[in-house]
Amino acid sequence: MVEIDHGCKCPGNPLLPQICKVIKITEETPDVKTFRIQTLDGKKPFTPLPGQLAMISVLNVGEAMFSLTAQGDDWIESSIKRVGFLTEALHNLFEGDLVGVRGPYGNHFPTEELKGRDILFVGGGIGLAPVRSFIRHAIAHRKDYGELDVLYGSRSYGDLVFKEDIFDHWPKACNTHITIDIEEDGWDGHVGFVPSYLEEKAFSPEGKAVVLCGPPIMITFCLISLAKMGFSKENVITTLEMRMKCGVGKCGRCNIGSKYVCLDGPVFTMAELEDLPDEQ
Amino acid sequence: MKIKKDKFKDALASIAKEAKVFLPMKGVYASEYRVWDGAGEPFFERNTALPPKELLFPRSERMYEYDLNAGTVTEAAPDEKIVIAGIRPCDVRSVEHLDKVFLESEYTDVYYRARRENLTMIAYGCATPAPTCFCDSMDVVPTDAPGADVVMNDAGNSYVLTVNTPKGEHIRDLISSFLSEGKADDVPAVSCSLKVEKPDDLHKQLIARFDDPMWETLSDACLGCGCCSYICPTCYCFDIGRENRGKTGTAFRCWDSCMFSDYSRMAGGHNPRPTKKERLRNRYLHKLAYFPERYGTSLCVGCGRCIDKCPARLDITNVPDIIQGSESNG
Repeated sequence: MVEIDHGCKCPGNPLLPQICKVIKITEETPDVKTFRIQTLDGKKPFTPLPGQLAMISVLNVGEAMFSLTAQGDDWIESSIKRVGFLTEALHNLFEGDLVGVRGPYGNHFPTEELKGRDILFVGGGIGLAPVRSFIRHAIAHRKDYGELDVLYGSRSYGDLVFKEDIFDHWPKACNTHITIDIEEDGWDGHVGFVPSYLEEKAFSPEGKAVVLCGPPIMITFCLISLAKMGFSKENVITTLEMRMKCGVGKCGRCNIGSKYVCLDGPVFTMAELEDLPDEQ
Repeated sequence: MKIKKDKFKDALASIAKEAKVFLPMKGVYASEYRVWDGAGEPFFERNTALPPKELLFPRSERMYEYDLNAGTVTEAAPDEKIVIAGIRPCDVRSVEHLDKVFLESEYTDVYYRARRENLTMIAYGCATPAPTCFCDSMDVVPTDAPGADVVMNDAGNSYVLTVNTPKGEHIRDLISSFLSEGKADDVPAVSCSLKVEKPDDLHKQLIARFDDPMWETLSDACLGCGCCSYICPTCYCFDIGRENRGKTGTAFRCWDSCMFSDYSRMAGGHNPRPTKKERLRNRYLHKLAYFPERYGTSLCVGCGRCIDKCPARLDITNVPDIIQGSESNG
């Protein structure tokens, strides 16, 4: 059983952003960019735990909640897919432009509780972004964890995010299994959807926890596959998204039952989600 | 303590020297809590159409100014002293509920806290509840408001005052020259005519019926206008927006309603509550199930405003009625 810690508090006004600078922009795919963010005096805005969230704003456009995918000594990073009004504005930024940042919000992946365990990370599309914060943590603390597997898939080679990580860095520390949905020229890796690849690999549920994030349809089928493979709901961990405005459990909209995704989530075990009303 | 009714305005004038006084008053379109100009008459016949929440949680409120040229954000800090004279016990309870959300939960809301610390509430006990009132079914006593700083009750040609808090003592000192001795225990008990039977485990029963067809039926007539949220004293959901001028502007928050489709729709178009069925269910469950689970008390105070003003005649008391009915039917 994976217990999830639900505590986090920030001092001051939680709705007030700090002005930060985008110091590096990486084009991951045609519609995903990674933004490296630093305070104006060259510091890290705050130190998030793996899986925590931040409200990022283009101050004269709007703000939205994003997962933080990585952090360094003096920066945090978020990978953002272009899907709407604000993300379009973010994608139009240049290095050196200012953004507002507030956080960190929400709970985090159970990095302590999973010490000594094997972990299977499963990601689909941009869903690898939140999971990456935990993968990076696990690799940085490699001795604390057992066997690490990363199974990641996307529509096409071009849509795979974090290519340097998945092809160069991570294979040195964990087993990586990469797949794309349909065949394409120049790709000699696995072809097929994430859930079927999962079953093909036949991971043993013995001592293993699964950290899962991707589009809803992929999650639905992965859960079916994982259940078939013998993984219990307590050992499958996912991270959710909902529309959010405040990030601190007040503005109302991100609730699932009496839980707020911004505050009590975004990380839940499947067992916890089963106890909540079945919102879509 | 008592104050003669003909001295009431003189007393208000003493209070108005150091704070902005709000009174329930008739408006052009609807009765509401308005700034007292020194002459206006209080409207005590029935509760105001609009709730007092905007004195703590304005319809639209500046949060901070931003300047992208200078790279700065400047926080707004509300600091106005306010006294509400004549707030009803149901509305006092609604403020207690808002306190739970904005002051007593994981994060403190600094804007709400600044307004709340500057607020003094003089409650007005209800002598004649409206036909839509059901506060005594929601654990509110129509003639008493323990959460208010002062409670006043109509006693013929005077009001009987009870002081509850240090803020209330300050009000008493301000108006002491108008006060005379008098007992508070001669206030007759008042009962609402609309009664709602609710089982102790209502929240559990409602959640168990999350997929029940009753939500479809209940929401059938809903127009999605959001009126219920607007006039509800405890609906506190908000949106955050900005008024922008080039590289500078103001971020504000404003009331929002879970009855609007935009409310929970995500970028990319997915909406976890796509139709009025899910939206109405969420609103009712928030009041009667989710809030009790999280904060230990029902979020509905029984003021009856939503029953009175809903253009489609939706009635929140139907929800516990259905649960009770299904219980008695076995």
